[in-house]
Amino acid sequence: MGLAANRPPGRADGSFKRRAMSPPTPPPAVRSHRIALTLGNRLGPAAAVFAGGLFGSAARTGIGYWSPTSPGGFPFAILATNLVGSLLLGFYLARREQGVSARWSLQFWGIGMLGSFTTFSAFSLDVVHLVQDQRTLTAVLYVFASLVGGLGLALVGERTGMVLR
Amino acid sequence: MTLLVATLAGAAGAVLRYVVSGVVQRRTRSGFPLGTLTVNLSGAFLLGLVAGVDNLESSTTLATAAFLAGFTTFSTWMIETLRLGPSPFRLRPIANLLITLVPGVILCAAGYSLTN
Repeated sequence: MGLAANRPPGRADGSFKRRAMSPPTPPPAVRSHRIALTLGNRLGPAAAVFAGGLFGSAARTGIGYWSPTSPGGFPFAILATNLVGSLLLGFYLARREQGVSARWSLQFWGIGMLGSFTTFSAFSLDVVHLVQDQRTLTAVLYVFASLVGGLGLALVGERTGMVLR
Repeated sequence: MTLLVATLAGAAGAVLRYVVSGVVQRRTRSGFPLGTLTVNLSGAFLLGLVAGVDNLESSTTLATAAFLAGFTTFSTWMIETLRLGPSPFRLRPIANLLITLVPGVILCAAGYSLTN
């Protein structure tokens, strides 16, 4: 009864014009759908980062576990991890720019997996330990190898990703 | 067991990195990758603090270190450095390298000596 009375004046074919200034109030079903969508858009990428992060940190932890750095030794494990991670991230991003990629693939591969596979904090701690042990030359070598190697391999990865079909 | 805890902690660190660096990058609206800079510097300082306690010999400090290792990133730092200029031998890429490297190592050493 009430609904019919509130309806804007209809036309002969049953359609009616929306009044210019009437604010569109979404029906409840649409509103809950919108909330679910917003939640999904917020949680989905975070879940993708977490899932990728599981693989990345498992691989890094595994490498460190199987080839531990001897006290005062050269930190080969972190160096290799950071170099390989930079190469793969360059490759992945170049491939991604080449064509379509799945939803949240950047969050999974780039930010989650390769982001957490490589690490800056452990790299810094390695440098601090080497300097503490008076192995300054090794520290300089380690920093140099990490930065030059990381930049170079990231470039190689990007170029390879762009050339591949 | 240790591997499992370290893996979970590292993935949690990655999620926090995603959130923090995203918020910082949006707030500052800078062309410079300040989000990655923030997570790397804070993560290096915190890892220094944690490592100073017992040189990562207990399972608690080891799990925290795994979290911080996942929180910071090296590969994104490299890629963002490359994208700051047409070649790495320009002012902006080199500035991004130094502004992360030098304070990062100093903050890590400062954290270490604070708790050691």
